[in-house]
Amino acid sequence: MSLPTYPSGTVRALLATPHVSEATRDALQARLDAPAYAPQFLAPESFALLEAVAARLLPQPDRSDSPIPLAPAVDQRLAEGRADGWRYDALPPDREAYRLGLGGIQEIAQAMFQTDFQALDATGQDAVLQALASTTPPGSTWETLNAGRFFEELLAELTEAYYSHPLAQEEIGYVGMADLPAWTKIGLNEKDDREPSNG
Amino acid sequence: MPDEEVLEEGVLNPVKPEIQDPLLRALLTDEPAPAATPVDTPLEQPQAIAPEADEVDCIVIGLGAGGAPLLARLAMAGLKVVVLEAGPWHNPEKDFATDETAQNFLFWNDERLAAGADPLAMGKNNSGTGVGGSTLHYTAYTPRPLPDDLHVRRDFGQGEDWPVSYEELEPYYEELEQFLGISGPTPYPWGPTRRKGYPLAPLPLNSAAQLMVRGAEKVGIRTSPAANAALSARYYQEGIGWREACTNRGFCQAGCSNGAKASMDVTFIPLAVKHGADIRPNSFVTEIERDARGYITGVVYTQNGIEQRQRCRHLFICAGSVETPRLLLLNELALTSGQVGKNLMAHPGLQVFGTFADEVRPNKGIPGGLISQDTHRPKDADFIGGYLLQSIGIMPVTFAGQVARGRKYWGQQLRDYMRNYNHIAGINILGDCLPHADNYMELAEEKDVRGLPKPRLHFTAQENEQRMNAHAEKTMRAIWEAAGATDIWSFQRYAHVIGTARMGRSGDDAVVDANGRAFDVPNLYISDNSTFPSALSVNPALTIMALSLRTADKFLEQQQRRDA
Repeated sequence: MSLPTYPSGTVRALLATPHVSEATRDALQARLDAPAYAPQFLAPESFALLEAVAARLLPQPDRSDSPIPLAPAVDQRLAEGRADGWRYDALPPDREAYRLGLGGIQEIAQAMFQTDFQALDATGQDAVLQALASTTPPGSTWETLNAGRFFEELLAELTEAYYSHPLAQEEIGYVGMADLPAWTKIGLNEKDDREPSNG
Repeated sequence: MPDEEVLEEGVLNPVKPEIQDPLLRALLTDEPAPAATPVDTPLEQPQAIAPEADEVDCIVIGLGAGGAPLLARLAMAGLKVVVLEAGPWHNPEKDFATDETAQNFLFWNDERLAAGADPLAMGKNNSGTGVGGSTLHYTAYTPRPLPDDLHVRRDFGQGEDWPVSYEELEPYYEELEQFLGISGPTPYPWGPTRRKGYPLAPLPLNSAAQLMVRGAEKVGIRTSPAANAALSARYYQEGIGWREACTNRGFCQAGCSNGAKASMDVTFIPLAVKHGADIRPNSFVTEIERDARGYITGVVYTQNGIEQRQRCRHLFICAGSVETPRLLLLNELALTSGQVGKNLMAHPGLQVFGTFADEVRPNKGIPGGLISQDTHRPKDADFIGGYLLQSIGIMPVTFAGQVARGRKYWGQQLRDYMRNYNHIAGINILGDCLPHADNYMELAEEKDVRGLPKPRLHFTAQENEQRMNAHAEKTMRAIWEAAGATDIWSFQRYAHVIGTARMGRSGDDAVVDANGRAFDVPNLYISDNSTFPSALSVNPALTIMALSLRTADKFLEQQQRRDA
């Protein structure tokens, strides 16, 4: 089966309609209108590294001019000290984990390619992330920081930030936010008129 | 609700009704009537906290499935009840967005530490806060347990039996189904014949449910529309008025915005408020105060940053299976059995997803439209107990997070796979779990923002859970293959924390008795899933509510006997 493709603009068009509640519209519109972000918690070079990592974990060649920003959600959460209710006991507190882990990614890049992560091309960067995801990566950081758990947390947080964005939701043909007054066609191969078609 | 035991006792021996029952006899001789004996509070009155002049009959801590039903019962009996709920009181129609990330405020987001070989995800997976507790985001699956769920030890020689029988709980299940307006099939295909059917017809089957019907038929597994506490038609709710039918938003796990789902804030809580319950949201309890005899005299709590004290004659802790044992441990309360925090169980909740050529659009309709309990005691099982099967639709952000964590996809592979979202459907299990010495909750050295130790949960799936998961994965893969799925994969997960303050027949190995009353502290009751002696092979909410009503009734009977 070839990959489904959906038209652009579906969610944005629906946001202006009475199919979307006010609370829902506020949440989604704020993501679309997010102003330029200056890091509040991470040092500028760490924030830039996080952006570079995010660009490989969720590559957006189709939005090279203005990718969905992912690093701000992480930095803002760390700055505010917010948690999501749990943490792997194997990891230190989130702020420390991110500081250590981002430094550790540079260590892997240095060990594998004798250069910084951002200086690598996409293939090199992916090799660094693959080492983090699936092996015991090189670098003293990873003797104390659990690489697999750190990678999982980093990837899950960025992934959830990505698919929370209206443009990512347009891409997968999701318009669940436009749920007023009701969904009436919920069975197999059925759709309400306001749901987009593949192709 | 009249109780058979009590009616019978009244006839047999109106003067000393419980004399044959050693437990009740012990309780009666231990406990003086509070009305006759003014409570002695020599340890109170530190100047830092404003004294609370009024003593109330009862304090309830926590307003989820464990606290709200008994609250309504106590208030309706005319008792003066104060409720302390850690979270806020929402207006779902106005405040709840159809957006997963925006709804994160529904979860208990203070950090819990997850240890062991199968660390338990908490937050949105397993916890809640606010007036309504976790029912604000429960999926409203409300199957009854089957009778043998309550005596796993008798049947298999492992695990624990309940000190309450199915027959004792049955009237409460029936009452709840009618009161909450549960939608479901009549007759229900599994378990004993019921006196009354569900009050409403089942909710419509969504795509995932239809696909599961298709696959299960081919592999010879019976299925049925599930019982769900979301309304398939308008329903009149005492204390609130008409509740509207479900609009198939599929956002049960991120909060229902139209009141169709029977969360506590649209059912028992308005009923309790109508009968005078005093609900104090944003109130986090830090201390439980006792007198020299060990009786609870009141609690200290922080509401909107201000420390308060409230005195009470009876305390009901209904804070869930993490915060309840945490409160007990922090206050060194009811600990003599050594079981507080122990026996932590979690339901195996393995999910199997597949991609279909058909359009699924898995965000619509209640997530779990279809159920099978054919796997309750599988003939070819190499494990103790069993599980049920449910179809699953899923919201996109939750699904994407699971793909990242479980399938370890990233980069272009992740984005490509997610483009199949509208063609994905899942099946999951909910399986029984045995208690094990390695699985427990403790207080960590690390402190939270309040300066209190964080809870640490140890969980490692043992051989029985692993065998059950293997059996279930094979079964679900077979169903999905028969239904025509491709690219089938499984996501390992555990849901619900259970058993950390268990009930039993003796204070030697249990924290509370069958009525939810603490063996150590005569005016302390616990009502939530921490008291479950075993995990059950069904979703816990309905049984938490049933035990909550039963605890209230047993408490009220005892008060009446004393007054008489």
